[in-house]
Amino acid sequence: MLEWLFNILAYLGLYYKNAKILFLGLDNAGKTTLMHVLRDDKVAQHIPTQQPTAEEVVIGNIKFRAFDLGGHAAARQIWRNYYTKVDAIVYMVDAADRDRLNEAKKELDALLADEQLTDVPFLILGNKIDVPQAASEEELRTALGVHHLTTGKGTNPVKDVRPIEVFMCSVVRKMGYGEGFRWLSQYL
Amino acid sequence: MDFVQAEEIDGARWSWHIWPSSKIEAQRCVVPFGCLYTPLKDIPNLPVLPYPPVKCKCGCVLNPYCSVDFHAKLWVCPFCLQRNPLPPQYAEISETRLPGELIPNFTTIEYVLSRPPAPPPVFLFVIDTCINEDELQVLKEYLLKALQLLPPEAIVGLVTFGQNVHVHELGYQDCPKSYVLKGSKDYTPVQIKELLGLAVSPTRLSGTSSSVNRPQGAARFLQPVSECEFIFTDIIEDLGRDNWPVPADQRPKRCTGTALSIAVGLLEASYADYGARIQLFVGGPAVEGPGKIVQAELGDTVRSHMDIDKDNAPFYSKALKHYESVTLRAVNAGHTIDVYGCSLDQVGLFEMKSCVERTGGFFVQAESFHHLMFKRSFEAFFRGTQAENNKSGEEQSKKMGLRSGFQGSLEVLTSRELKVSGAIGPMTSLKKQSNCVSRDVEIGMGGTCAWKMCAVDPGVTVAVYFEIVHPHGTPISENQFRYVQFVTQYQHISGQYRMRVSTMAGRWTDPTNLVDIASGFDQEAAAVLMARMAVYKTENEEAFDILRWLDRMLIRLCSKFAEYQKEAPETFRLSPQFSLYPQFMYNLRRSQFLQVFNSSPDETAYYRSYLNRENTLNGLLMIQPSLIAFTLESPPSPVLLDVASIAPDRILLLDTFFYVIIYYGATVAHWKKAGYHLDPQYAHLKTFLEAPKIEAHAIADERFPYPRYIEADQGSSQGRFLLAKLNPSVTHNSSPNDLSMASDLIFTDDVSLQVFMEHLKKLAVSNQ
Repeated sequence: MLEWLFNILAYLGLYYKNAKILFLGLDNAGKTTLMHVLRDDKVAQHIPTQQPTAEEVVIGNIKFRAFDLGGHAAARQIWRNYYTKVDAIVYMVDAADRDRLNEAKKELDALLADEQLTDVPFLILGNKIDVPQAASEEELRTALGVHHLTTGKGTNPVKDVRPIEVFMCSVVRKMGYGEGFRWLSQYL
Repeated sequence: MDFVQAEEIDGARWSWHIWPSSKIEAQRCVVPFGCLYTPLKDIPNLPVLPYPPVKCKCGCVLNPYCSVDFHAKLWVCPFCLQRNPLPPQYAEISETRLPGELIPNFTTIEYVLSRPPAPPPVFLFVIDTCINEDELQVLKEYLLKALQLLPPEAIVGLVTFGQNVHVHELGYQDCPKSYVLKGSKDYTPVQIKELLGLAVSPTRLSGTSSSVNRPQGAARFLQPVSECEFIFTDIIEDLGRDNWPVPADQRPKRCTGTALSIAVGLLEASYADYGARIQLFVGGPAVEGPGKIVQAELGDTVRSHMDIDKDNAPFYSKALKHYESVTLRAVNAGHTIDVYGCSLDQVGLFEMKSCVERTGGFFVQAESFHHLMFKRSFEAFFRGTQAENNKSGEEQSKKMGLRSGFQGSLEVLTSRELKVSGAIGPMTSLKKQSNCVSRDVEIGMGGTCAWKMCAVDPGVTVAVYFEIVHPHGTPISENQFRYVQFVTQYQHISGQYRMRVSTMAGRWTDPTNLVDIASGFDQEAAAVLMARMAVYKTENEEAFDILRWLDRMLIRLCSKFAEYQKEAPETFRLSPQFSLYPQFMYNLRRSQFLQVFNSSPDETAYYRSYLNRENTLNGLLMIQPSLIAFTLESPPSPVLLDVASIAPDRILLLDTFFYVIIYYGATVAHWKKAGYHLDPQYAHLKTFLEAPKIEAHAIADERFPYPRYIEADQGSSQGRFLLAKLNPSVTHNSSPNDLSMASDLIFTDDVSLQVFMEHLKKLAVSNQ
C-alpha cells in the first residue's frame, strides 16, 4: 500500500530527490554511452564528446541532472568549472584499456585531492567487463590505488568520511551500474 | 541526365527536372519541387555585360528564352507573355548579331549596373578580452595578420569588450583612445548614436570611393587600413585582458550582447546600405547585459538542450529576443555578422544564430584560439577578401576562402503555372509580394518572392521551393515550358553594383506519366532540400515528429515510384534515380542535425547553420559522409559507409564536412607503431601511409570552415569519430556466427540500414 503511494509520488515527480552529478573520466571510458542508456535505455555509438552536455535521468526515486563532460586531455581543463554545488561524481574507467589505467589513476587522484570536492561521494565505475581482457575489480582497485579509500558497498551509509566505492559494469550489456547508483543514492 | 554538369552552367540543382502539369499530381510526388541555387557560383567564362539589363514590365530580365521579333524590334516575355519594345540601342541586332544576354548558352549572365561604386567594405572587429592571456595573444597575432591581408582601402574598426564595451578611436593618431559604454545596459540605437557622437546627420556617401565624404563622427572609429595601420597595431599590441577582478567561483563578466548591439549601432549610423561585416570573437558565455545566458556564479550552468526543452533556461528567451532585434537592425542596414566562438564550453551561439543565419554570416567553432580550426579558417577568410587583380575578376582560385558580395538581394520570378512557396538559406525575407508568390503553400521563409542576402559568398546556396498551380485536367502543349528566373543584385568587392541573372527552362509532362517524371529525379538535390526542410522544422516542432514526418514522406515516395507487387516486399525495386535516396534519409535521421544527444545547443546551431548555406555536394557530405579505402594492392576507392568496410590492412579516410579522419586498420597501425615505414626497404609502405594524409590535407585546405583533423588507430578512443558514422551492420547483438566473420563491430542498439530498408519495403508495398 505504501509502495503504491510512493510510486504515485515518484510518478508525479514529488518524491524525487534532485541531484547534480558529473560524469567524469578519460575519453572512451563510456560516459556518454551510459548517459544515453540511462536516458533512453538504448546503446548507441557516439563521437567523442566535445562541449559538455546535460540530461535529466531517473534511477529509482532519484532524478539526476547529469553532466557529461568530454574526457580528452583538453576537455579536462574545464571539469573544475562544474564542481560547484555538485552532489556526486561518477568516475568512469575503461577497465579493458590497461594501457591507460595509470592515466585514469592520475586524473582520479587529482579529483580526490581537489578541495572543492572534499565531501563529494565518488562512484567509480569499472566499465567494459564484457571484454575478456578487462581488469577485474581487484586489479582495478590496485591500479587506481583506492584499496584503502573505499568505504564499503553496504546499505548502511558511512558517516564522517567521504563515500567512495568501486562497481564493475558493462554499459553496453546494461549491467552493473544499477547497483552502483543504488549505492550512491543513499548519500544523496 | 547529368545533374552535376547542369549545375556548372547555372549553379542550380533541381529535385525534379520534369514536372507534372497538374497541381494535384504534383502534390502526390511527395518530395517538393525545389531548387538549390548558388547565386554567386564561380562559373567559368561567365559573361559580364557592361550595360544595364533590359526588363519587362513584370520584372523579368531579357534572356535567351525570350522570342525576339527582329523586324519589329519587339521581344515577348516568356513569364508574362507581354510584348516589349527593344530599347533603341538594340536597333542593330539580328539573328546573327545577338547581344550577350540573348546568346543561347548564356542562361546565366552578369550585368554591371550603372551606379556610382560603393565605398570599400567595412570590417568591424569585436573582441572578447575576458579570454586567457595566451589565447588573447594568439588572437591579437591573427588580427594583425588580417590587417596585412585586407586590401589597403578596406575600412576597419575595433570594439573590445569585457565587463564594459570599448569603442576604439582609429582616427586619432597621437595615442590610443576609446569610448567606454556600460556592459550591463541595453542601449537603444539612438542612445548608441548619441553616446558615440554619431548623431550628426550623416552626409550621404557619394561620388567615387576615393572622395568618400564620411560622416564626421564615424570617421573617428572607422578608417581605411592604409590610414590607421599604425594606431590599429598599437592598440592591438597594448590590448590586455579585461582588468575587472574575477572571483575564483565566478565567470568573467562578458557583455557580448551589448558589445554586438553597439557594433551594429556604429555601422547602422554610418554605413547603412553599404557593405560591412562585423566579426565577433568570443571565448565564453555572456553573464552581463541583454545577451546574458548564465549567471556569473559557476554553480549555475549554461543551458542544455534538455533545459531549453523543459523551459528551464531562465535567460534563454530574453537573450534570443535581444539577438533577434540586433539581427533585424543589421539586416535593415544590410550588414553581416560572423561569429568565431572559440572555447571548450558554450559561448551562446545558439542564442546568436539569427545574427549569423539571417545576415549571411558564418560561425567558426573551435575549442580555443590556438586551434587550427580557428587559425586556418580565419586566414582563409581574409585571403578571400583580397580583391582579385586579374581583369575579369572571375578567375577562380580554390585557395581563396570567401570572396563575398555585399548588400545582396535575390528575387525569383516564375512563369504562370508555378509559384514560389518559400526559401531556406542564409538570408531574410524582404516580404515582397508578386504574382509569383504562392498563397496556399509556405515552405521555409515564404509569402515573398525576394530575400535579402547581406553577404553572398560564392559557395552560399539557397533552397527555393515551388508549387505547381496548373489546374488538373488542362493539358499543357508540348512546346510550352516552365520558366524560373533568379535575379541577384549585389555589391561586388570592387565596389561595382552588379546583377546576376539565371534563367532556367524546364519541361512539363503528362501527370500520369510517372516514368517520365521519375527519370528526372535528382536524389542528391532532393535529399538536401528535404534536410533543410527538416532542420527548418526543428524551430517549431519536436524532433520525434520531424523524424516521423521524414519516414512518412520516404514511405510515400517509395510507394509511388518503386516497382513492386502489392503486399510483396520481396518484389520491391527502386530505379537508379531513387536507389540511394532511402540511404540518404537513413543517415539524415541519424545525423547531428536531428539527433541532439551528445551535442550542446551551440554545437547544434553551428552544424545546422552550415547545412543551410552550403551547396548540394557539401550538404550531401554532411548528411552522408564519404569514405575512401586505401590498400597496398589497389588505388584508393570509395567504399560503403559500413562497419564492414573496416579491415586490418586498410586505411580509411572519412570526410563528414566538419571533420576528416584517417583510420588505420589494426595491422596497419601495428606496422606504423613498429616503424616499418621508416625502413628504406619498405618505401612503398611509407607512400601508402602518406597517401591518405595528402588527400586529407587537400580536403581540409579547400574547406571553409577548416575541418577538425583526426588520425586514429582501429579500436582507439578517437576512432569513434569514424564508428559513429558507419552503418552498424555488425553489432554486439549480432549472432556469434556473424561476429566471427566480421573484422569489427559497433556497440549500438540502432537499427542498421538493412533493417531500415526491410521495414521501408514492407510499409511501401502496403501503403495504398
